[in-house]
Amino acid sequence: MSHIFWSNIFNRPTSELQSIVELWQDTPLFENIPTRHVQFLSKKMHVRSFMAGERIFQLGSQGAGALMVLEGSVQIRADTTELALLKLGDFFGEIALAEPEKRTADAYSVTNTRLVYFLKQDLEEWIEYEPRLGSRFLMNLSAILARRLSLANKEMVTL
Amino acid sequence: MSLPIFFKTQNAYTQTIKLFACMIAIVLAGFYLLSAVIIPIVISLTLYAIFEPATLYLVRHNVNHSLSIIIVLVFLVFFSFIAIGFALPQLIEQIGLLQAKLPAIFSKLEGFLTHYSAEFSDQIGVDLDVSDMIVSTVSQSTLLGQSFLLNFSNKLLGVTIVFLLVPFLTYYLLKDFRSLRNHMMNWLPNTSFELGWLIYHRVSKQLQAYTRGVMIQSIIMSLVCMIGFSLIGLDIPILLGVITGILNLVPYIGPVISILLSLLVSSAMTPFDPSLLYLGVLVIVIAQIIDNVIVIPAVIANAVNLHPVQVILGIIIFGNLFGTLGVILAIPAIATAKIIFNNLYADILNENQKQSL
Repeated sequence: MSHIFWSNIFNRPTSELQSIVELWQDTPLFENIPTRHVQFLSKKMHVRSFMAGERIFQLGSQGAGALMVLEGSVQIRADTTELALLKLGDFFGEIALAEPEKRTADAYSVTNTRLVYFLKQDLEEWIEYEPRLGSRFLMNLSAILARRLSLANKEMVTL
Repeated sequence: MSLPIFFKTQNAYTQTIKLFACMIAIVLAGFYLLSAVIIPIVISLTLYAIFEPATLYLVRHNVNHSLSIIIVLVFLVFFSFIAIGFALPQLIEQIGLLQAKLPAIFSKLEGFLTHYSAEFSDQIGVDLDVSDMIVSTVSQSTLLGQSFLLNFSNKLLGVTIVFLLVPFLTYYLLKDFRSLRNHMMNWLPNTSFELGWLIYHRVSKQLQAYTRGVMIQSIIMSLVCMIGFSLIGLDIPILLGVITGILNLVPYIGPVISILLSLLVSSAMTPFDPSLLYLGVLVIVIAQIIDNVIVIPAVIANAVNLHPVQVILGIIIFGNLFGTLGVILAIPAIATAKIIFNNLYADILNENQKQSL
């Protein structure tokens, strides 16, 4: 057994990594992507903690990647109107994986929250080495974005 | 990004300048603290930028990370030894030749300048004694050469440290840079986390592209000039080719110095052949055309997006502040500063606009 003093302190605990991998695998983003690749990408992701009520990002700021709720809950809102309440395993901000566009809403943590950041930079590097799986991932991403666009259009029609 | 009160007093532009100035001060302090080892660090970072893709490629093919780094470094050392073993004896021989030719080069230069300064003096009506200037320059350069030789034994220790430190640093950069980087990025507050990564991503992408680009560009320029100089029968073609390739790292100014150098060498050849002057310039002009038409668009297009005035001013200012290292690092440093400033400004502007709503 490795001693804590000599072990690599930068490594993420296995149980946390495993739960991140499982949560991502349940999302349509990683549909048909083999586990070892999800694991490879999850190792590169960044876990951040937010206090209750803390701003995660704001409308108009530049996005570096997608986020997934690992603990707690997140409110997506435009001004004071709640657009969505996200819980464990929900992901958001995925537009930033396709384009370095500005964020289209505000995101605030409702309770003490832990989030996983999946950065566009890591995705790009992975796609460079795994173009076949990368294109599958991008197809998943475009399907999600198309679905969101179609829902937004329907909502606009009903207004 | 939320800022401390010191930064919140003026408009977005002033706030960005204040924040940027603080960052520059921190970077300069870092440079000052690391000044003793800055050259090995810069060389190791350059090697890291060049060889990281090769190690990542091996890792992707299920080779152990440490082993892939060792394989890459062994290849690097092996090929360096072959290159040095092949080129060094010839380079030393050619440096000796250049040294022997220096008096002839200076006397040609003196004759050339005396002739044209006499004509120029006649035209403007002022007496210019170029011979004195040349004699003083030559004596100064001789003194400089002597002092260099005297300091050489002291410098040898520094060179040895660089040679020992570079492989060591490169190994650990290739092994741990990403973990260390992630750990340091985690120090950023939540409000700046995404912005920090965005800036890092843009800067690293640009610097890696630039570093690989200029390395390839230098090698191609050296080879083209070596072949060209050999074909026209100019003395010391390998040395001149290598110097031209290295000088090409300094845009605009480097090629001009290379042309002057080739003119001096061809003018000192015995028997003197005036056509060599034109042919030497022609080789560099052809190399520049190849560089600008083929190499730059293919290898370093869009690696840095800077205006020529920014480049020249940057080279002069950095050269003045940090010497030769400053001249080489000027372009990547300005390009990096530009990305950081623009991203900070965009973020602060967005924050201010949001608050004013």
